[in-house]
Amino acid sequence: MNCQATMRLLHAYVDGELDLPNALALEEHVQGCPRCRSLHANLLALQTALRRHGGWETPDALRERLQAHYARQPEVRMPRRTWLAQAVPALGALAIVALIGYSGYEHTRVPSAPEPARIVYHMTNSDAAGAALRTLGNHLDAAPDVAVVVVAHNNGVDFLLRGARDETGQLLETAVRRFKERGVEFRVCGNTLVRRKIDSGEVIPEAKLVPSGIAEIARLQGQEGYIYLRL
Amino acid sequence: MSEEAKRERFERLVLAHMDAAYGLARWLTRNEAQAEEAVQEAYLRAYRFFHGFRGGDARPWLLGIVRNCCYTLLERERAASGPDEFDEDAHGEDAVAAGAVLNFPANPELAAIESADRELVQRCLRALPDEYREALALRELHDCSYKEIAAIAGIPIGTVMSRLARGRRLLQQALRERMKKEDTGT
Repeated sequence: MNCQATMRLLHAYVDGELDLPNALALEEHVQGCPRCRSLHANLLALQTALRRHGGWETPDALRERLQAHYARQPEVRMPRRTWLAQAVPALGALAIVALIGYSGYEHTRVPSAPEPARIVYHMTNSDAAGAALRTLGNHLDAAPDVAVVVVAHNNGVDFLLRGARDETGQLLETAVRRFKERGVEFRVCGNTLVRRKIDSGEVIPEAKLVPSGIAEIARLQGQEGYIYLRL
Repeated sequence: MSEEAKRERFERLVLAHMDAAYGLARWLTRNEAQAEEAVQEAYLRAYRFFHGFRGGDARPWLLGIVRNCCYTLLERERAASGPDEFDEDAHGEDAVAAGAVLNFPANPELAAIESADRELVQRCLRALPDEYREALALRELHDCSYKEIAAIAGIPIGTVMSRLARGRRLLQQALRERMKKEDTGT
């Protein structure tokens, strides 16, 4: 592939829309061409800046209004957030909500009829994080009501760090956010961060820190009836 | 479908995408109050027309409704307000030939863009013309595929591609210029 073709296909490549043969040919060219490599780097930089700074948090008031109108049981949906807002003085509450972000919002639904399955996925390696998330997506498509917690441990924490990308160069944070919207929870092993000297600020806000990944898995299995699967 | 079953399905499939709905509305209206109004209106319509939803991923379906609500709202208010910050004539669709993709500037300094702060990124995004801001928001912030963007915005896939390429180029230029200004303190 030459420079002209690369420049024509580069956007489709970073958007994950390029077919495999062209993507491979493009990668090969980009590796050996400093100019195209810098174009590629610039596009990724722009993507990172946009994804990092372009998001908006839904205002609590709007969230509550919509929940009240359209959720089945609004009173059991928002306990922690409302409780926090009331119990802590205004500024402190703001800071705490900002710190814990979405983790204050429980997606667990109160089950009726047969209880949906609960799965804890253990992630110990981030090398094939994109493929792992696709597996997770397939699982959710097939069983939308399943409750899923992903516990990241050892090298599995890498895909939940800021700026992490999958095998094709796609930012993983967006994918993680979408899973979060679908009710999946992501928990990161604190012991791993300490051992690997990773600052907790590096962890994306969609994920929640737990003291020990293994203890968390044991707790979910032992006390909350979760089924263990390896991702 | 019983009302209870409809509510349950709506909650699971549509209400779950509230953050995406608000995020898109925020970018299209560039205004907090209007974004809230548009999202509320969108959910009202989505609920009313939920029987028409044919299954699959409800996100693009909802985002399409959000988009329509935003533009309806903006049209109503635009009559009274002034023109956009950007010069539409100079940067309109006609200027977006395939060549725009080829003229993508090669500048290693642009890697510094990655370190741009939130305020700067937001200001530059806000200044982009609607069609580019919309395409970029759907792609980068909501992770929509080209096919989904085409369906939501009602444009051919080729136009999605040219808008993304052009939008990114404009945004890079704007970021670079603003960063330069900040560096020299002007």
